[in-house]
Amino acid sequence: MNPAVSLRRIGLPRLIVHLSVLVICIIWLIPTIGILVTSFRDAGQIAASGWWTAFTGAAETSAARLGEPSTARQEGANYVISGSVFEQGQSGAVRAFGTRVAAPTEFEAGQAADLGDGEMLTINEDGSYVYTKNAPFDGERGKRVYLSVAAPPSFTLDNYRTVLTSQGIGQSFVNSLTVAIPATIIPILISAFAAYALSWMEFPGRALIIAMVVGLIVVPLQMSLIPLLRMYNEIGNLFGVPSRSYAGIWLAHSAFGMPLAIYLLRNYIAGLPREIIESARVDGASDFEIFVKIILPLSFPALASFSIFQFLWTWNDLLVAMVFLGTGKDQLVLTGALNALLGSMGGKWEILTASAFITIVVPIIVFFALQRYLVRGLLAGSVKGG
Amino acid sequence: MKTPFWIGTALAVVLAGSAAAQELKFAPGQDARFNWKSYEDFKAANANLKGQNLTLFGPWRGEDEVLFNSVLAYFNAATGINGKYSSSENYEQQIVIDTQAGSPPNIAIIPQPGLLADLATKGFLTPLGQENADWVKQNYGAGEGWIRYGTYKGKDGKEAYFGFPFKADFKSMVWYVPENFEEAGYEVPKTMEELIKLSDQIVEDGGVPWCIGLGSGGATGWPATDWVEDMMLRTQTPETYDKWVSNEIKFDDPAVVGAIEEFGKFAKNEKYVSGGVAAVSSTDFRDSPKGLFGIPPKCYLHHQASFVPSFFPPDTKLGTDADFFYLPTYASKPELGTPVLGAGTMFAITKDSPAAKAFIEFLKTPIAHEVWMAQSSFLTPFKGANPDAYANDVMKKQGELLTTATTFRFDASDLMPGKIGAGAFWTGMVDYVGGKDAKTVATDIQKAWDGLK
Repeated sequence: MNPAVSLRRIGLPRLIVHLSVLVICIIWLIPTIGILVTSFRDAGQIAASGWWTAFTGAAETSAARLGEPSTARQEGANYVISGSVFEQGQSGAVRAFGTRVAAPTEFEAGQAADLGDGEMLTINEDGSYVYTKNAPFDGERGKRVYLSVAAPPSFTLDNYRTVLTSQGIGQSFVNSLTVAIPATIIPILISAFAAYALSWMEFPGRALIIAMVVGLIVVPLQMSLIPLLRMYNEIGNLFGVPSRSYAGIWLAHSAFGMPLAIYLLRNYIAGLPREIIESARVDGASDFEIFVKIILPLSFPALASFSIFQFLWTWNDLLVAMVFLGTGKDQLVLTGALNALLGSMGGKWEILTASAFITIVVPIIVFFALQRYLVRGLLAGSVKGG
Repeated sequence: MKTPFWIGTALAVVLAGSAAAQELKFAPGQDARFNWKSYEDFKAANANLKGQNLTLFGPWRGEDEVLFNSVLAYFNAATGINGKYSSSENYEQQIVIDTQAGSPPNIAIIPQPGLLADLATKGFLTPLGQENADWVKQNYGAGEGWIRYGTYKGKDGKEAYFGFPFKADFKSMVWYVPENFEEAGYEVPKTMEELIKLSDQIVEDGGVPWCIGLGSGGATGWPATDWVEDMMLRTQTPETYDKWVSNEIKFDDPAVVGAIEEFGKFAKNEKYVSGGVAAVSSTDFRDSPKGLFGIPPKCYLHHQASFVPSFFPPDTKLGTDADFFYLPTYASKPELGTPVLGAGTMFAITKDSPAAKAFIEFLKTPIAHEVWMAQSSFLTPFKGANPDAYANDVMKKQGELLTTATTFRFDASDLMPGKIGAGAFWTGMVDYVGGKDAKTVATDIQKAWDGLK
């Protein structure tokens, strides 16, 4: 097909829209791709070069040590040390070498370098070397040489292995699920009831309650940590139960998530067509029946989108879990366990990036599972035209 | 597909992991470097505490946590106490939350005496008593100094001894690669004058002498505070240093401004620092030492505390591939002696119990120190611990400098109020390297300090 024809069929404005969406998506994805690539590189590579160089296999300069003077053979008047600069299992192509750290690529591979004092050194492309001197070698350690090696691109799964096999990670994974699932379901259940009552049931003080709930959204979570924990401690002491428990953290997460949940769901539920609800009332349905049979199915998109929110927030949370669940090895959630892997000083990019992709798996599953309902719900509204 | 594999691996690890938790790293009685008698004596003296619980909370995570747990295992094995250590990224905030809410651990391990003093004033710490203070005074190198950093005002306004020091960090160090020095024919400098001459020599030879990185996320700037403190101790008397810490002399006093300018001699010299002055505040302190090992080297010298080898490339052998020298003093100021700047972690009892008291007793045994010494990243000023137990010569050399120090001073930024030592001082140093002059920066920090009162 002629390109001009197909362009006319798509239309220039649409083409521009599509192109800009594509460009924005690519820009948006670059950091993620960077993290993904980094997670497959080892710590040395990460420190030495950026992730965008990972695919080209750049020349790396490295240091190697020649054989020790004690391994020298005598050949006529000369003493010779020979071998390979690569350790066993290593390979690569030497481009250049040098004997001074300030000039690591002084000599071409294969070239015979005169080092003075009657010493000659040749390092070939395959890594084999011949080091001769017209007198015995002295010293104990082998001579340090510097190589420029063309290394092919290399990737490793070691980072993932380190993270996945670290001690206690499985327990923390289970802990995270134990925290996140009820902490998502409880607030949604309660706030759906509350949202219905606040939008369709007439009672005095309704507006005031709504205003209070909206006001609670702005209360920063950090402010309530100490009073809440103190309350838990007192209740714990009173009944002789531990103050740090899953029930505690569920309640905490539910309480922190509920003002926003009620606000969002109320707005959605209040927007449902009045006729449906009123006709149900006329047919003799109680509030509970209306809620279960009409409101819940109709507000599935809102429920689904809020549960994605809440699940992400509880899954990624570190602070609330540390405070209300504790910091012991068997109480750590996944974020806590991965954070502990980074060590006291942090800065381990290889661990950080691999952990990021491991933690992301569960939220992605949740997202795609609920995404289906989200889209169906929206479509259901659009065809009704109402 | 991914998830089932995941959970399978995870469960397998949980099952395997719990079995191997409480093994002792070095079998008792085996290695002559260790003082096993102290272990047996401690065991005999604390036999009646079996089955009690002890919770400890501190700053160490990752490898450090494994190391501390290896020490704790000896305590647990000796007493039958079930001691459990935990940590958190925000341990400074968490310990405040926990003490205020009334569910503190038995023992809090805190590297900032300023924070401990705060907790002590609010009445959250249990005094350790005069006998522990006397013990530290007699058995620690520069013990007088250590006691001072563990003594705070209690809730009743009276001074008491609260913090027991265990594990020290040594800060007055310059790291270098001996082989690079050898090749270029450089000598380790003995005086500050020689160090400056060496830096000039490196520039002349076409190299860059220093790697300085101040970047540290939200804490950007702290490595510069170590520099200024070291320079303070090399240009002023220890008494002036103490007055500076307590704000008896102002931050914009000529003595302090002078020390900041001493740091500027290195960090603000375009030819002295790798990447130029602009790179100083943007380079992460964890990446900065890697410049020493570049081929060709990005720099020849790096000033950093004793923890830094964990950021050297893997397989770096301390002593041969990398070594350190004491940041020298001015030959023109011999009256200042050889001051040592350091830091340390303090153990304080936040919830008293016989087990907590027993743990403090345990810290007084040589074996508690030696077990960690024989592994890595641990220094102790305790004279009773066998220096041969150190895992390598570099650590041993640092340990000896600590036990023999004439003047020991704690990291000033850890002693100052949090808003200054972990706030204005950091940002001030970033401003200074960014182009402001020392006097303006010091005045700004003093203003912040005045604002606290």
